[in-house]
Amino acid sequence: MANTSILVVGGGFAGMTAALEAAELGHEVYLVEKAPYLGGRVMQLNKYFPKFCPPSCGLEIQYQRIKNNPLVKFFTLAEVVQVDGNKGNYTVTIRVRPRHTAPNSVDLSALVKDLTGETVSSFEFGLARRKGLYLDVPFAFPQRYVVDKTCLTDADKAKLAACPSIDLTEEEKLIPLQVGAIVVATGWQPYDVTRLSNLGAGTIKNCISNMQMERLASPYGPTQGKIVRPSDGRAPKKVAFVQCAGSRDENHLSYCSYICCAASLKQAQYVREQYPDAQITIYYIDLRTPGRYDTFARKVLADPKVQAIKGKVAAVAQDKAGDDVWVTVEDAVSGAKSVERFDLVVLATGMQPSLATQKLPLNVAMDEEGFLVGGEEQGIFVAGCAKQPLDVMKTAQSATAAAMKAIQTVRGR
Amino acid sequence: MSKTVRIEPDVQFVKELQEVGGEDLKKCYQCATCSVACPMAPADNPYPRKEMIWAQWGLKDKLLNDIDIWLCHNCGTCSDLCPRGAKPGDLLAALRNMTYRKLVPPAIIGEWMSSPKHLPMLVGIPAVVFGIIWMIRASMVGSFFPVTEDGRIIYGNLFPGDFTIDPVFGLTAIFVLICFLVGIRNLIQGFQTTVKDTFVIGYKKPSIKEAIVDAIKYEVLQHTRFKECIDEPADEERVKGHLLLFYGFVACFIVTSIVAVAHWGGKIIPFLAPIGHTPMPLWSPVKILANVGAVLLLVGLTLLTRRRLNLDRRKSRSNYYDWYLLGVIWAVTLTGIGSEVFRLAGVAPVAFFTYYLHLISIFMLIAYLPWSKLGHLVYRTTALIYARYVGRLPIGEKLIEDEKVFVI
Repeated sequence: MANTSILVVGGGFAGMTAALEAAELGHEVYLVEKAPYLGGRVMQLNKYFPKFCPPSCGLEIQYQRIKNNPLVKFFTLAEVVQVDGNKGNYTVTIRVRPRHTAPNSVDLSALVKDLTGETVSSFEFGLARRKGLYLDVPFAFPQRYVVDKTCLTDADKAKLAACPSIDLTEEEKLIPLQVGAIVVATGWQPYDVTRLSNLGAGTIKNCISNMQMERLASPYGPTQGKIVRPSDGRAPKKVAFVQCAGSRDENHLSYCSYICCAASLKQAQYVREQYPDAQITIYYIDLRTPGRYDTFARKVLADPKVQAIKGKVAAVAQDKAGDDVWVTVEDAVSGAKSVERFDLVVLATGMQPSLATQKLPLNVAMDEEGFLVGGEEQGIFVAGCAKQPLDVMKTAQSATAAAMKAIQTVRGR
Repeated sequence: MSKTVRIEPDVQFVKELQEVGGEDLKKCYQCATCSVACPMAPADNPYPRKEMIWAQWGLKDKLLNDIDIWLCHNCGTCSDLCPRGAKPGDLLAALRNMTYRKLVPPAIIGEWMSSPKHLPMLVGIPAVVFGIIWMIRASMVGSFFPVTEDGRIIYGNLFPGDFTIDPVFGLTAIFVLICFLVGIRNLIQGFQTTVKDTFVIGYKKPSIKEAIVDAIKYEVLQHTRFKECIDEPADEERVKGHLLLFYGFVACFIVTSIVAVAHWGGKIIPFLAPIGHTPMPLWSPVKILANVGAVLLLVGLTLLTRRRLNLDRRKSRSNYYDWYLLGVIWAVTLTGIGSEVFRLAGVAPVAFFTYYLHLISIFMLIAYLPWSKLGHLVYRTTALIYARYVGRLPIGEKLIEDEKVFVI
């Protein structure tokens, strides 16, 4: 008889939703997440569509549902390394990296302060540094610190070894799981700005990505929510948003990431709420705000200090004398090419499917951009941004759909 | 929109454009990356974004009167960065091709020059003309490959300058000059309808004479503008190749002029005549200049041909106009060198046949010049002078940094 358990790969919004939908209908679900926490990219946002909730709010409900449902078994710091078998009968091997901290949620913040070894925080997209013992955000779930041995000094190691809640000898584990169907919800990563050579390739201090902007605006971010220039901590007075930074571009991501225009408008609002005098310019090819986002766009653009100009910024350069940023752009409506100076420039980079650069041991058809396009005949279903760029709301819908198909696979109809 | 503009697209023109090198123009979605990427584009109505939409809409009159297609040196940065593979650089090249085709009457020559299917005709005309001369002269001198009593080959004995070569090429040159005058007039009339006077603070508007002198001194003789278009090693090779080719032509032009002036001048001032007497000894300064010119042509051709063969076809494609010109210059150069070598080697049949081919290729270079890519010699120069005169300048970073130039 076929196995009725379901594996969900990826513990972001899509993965959590799919896992919960299946578990709440009585199926055993294994949720496998690569990061130390569940919540995925939404965790890194300041506020998310459609209701501008902070992630702590929206994710909290999902966390509660997972906590209260014994059928959801989740693994963090875990990756799928092998998949054998076929539809209805899969044996999946996952590798769980050691967390080195005790399962109970001990507050180790005092110990963190004592450590000296540091590294760049990838959670903060390089805007901050973190210690070898860390918790990315205060509301992380599971509420457990992580030890990163690679950035511990010898003194740090001695201090951690003395702590009863820390076990530096913990090893990685391989765990076999038996499942009948698989939901792939591996999500997305921000497109690599270092490939955008004409937009500064990430070397211009005050030219940040839209995800970095989310971190700057987040009360749990590196600046406690104060939007300032990374170079000097000054409040920006003139901010530019560069839409389609690497999107709708054959040389980079050939597709539209769907949400970046709305996201930039949202971020324009972040800036305007903090700085009543700030002037904002959004440079776009087409301002794409589908559905309900159109109403939102009109509301934001009604602000006389927010202007949208049709024309893609194709050159960004650092000021020779200071930290300002120059952008070159043609206003395609008036036909004027100009070079403008800004305090802060935000590149609206698109969503690249995570699988474009990190493969899964699955034999599922993928398009040239890295989005999965097949798998249903094998009992493998794709949810969220692994399939196409989506907002959180549509991600949840696609996750419910994938969970439904997975259930139909393991139960028969 | 306060003013309603009636757009009258010329669909046939769009198709023609796609045939002569703009095949991907419809992929453009008007993001304006190209106008920003272009180091030459001015602040006011930069190119090539606007040309892309004019081309999509088939706005023939705007395009054929557009000065900007001549301000572009096709470095290809716009096409490299184009997110859609629409190849704006190639479109501007296609528009220049359309100008070669349509600017100057008779329209039939433009038609013949636009497609390889007419090539036999273009070769045939000079082949027949010089073939007939060869036949007549052969019957007069009694040999198809006449050599002197001491065994030397003198091309002038078969094709005498006075009543075969010079009249044919003289009349051809006059015809070409008239066509170019018509072309220049048409171009300037076109520019006047489309180019607005730009008022640029910090730019002293030159007189026409200054504009001509400066354009020739900088853009033509030093390729200053062309050199601004370098952003990768292949571009550097292109500028170098073009410069070598240009000076190769200048050398050959000087040689031809000296020979012509000395020969015809010698009929009035007799002591000039020997200077223009051919064949010249190898030590003659004029001959040395000619040989230096030939070497420059060879090196330049090699660089330019190699670059074209190595083009990334996703970013830029060569068209028939490119290959016609390169092909004819190769033919002129190789047959020219061949004529000299075989003459010195004393292989009469090969030497005379090579010289015959040389005459054909020279005719193909000169007689069809206003309708070939080499027409840019005149058209681009005209446009560059005009651009200087009206102050249509690139949005140079240096000028903006110095805060010296403000465009109004």
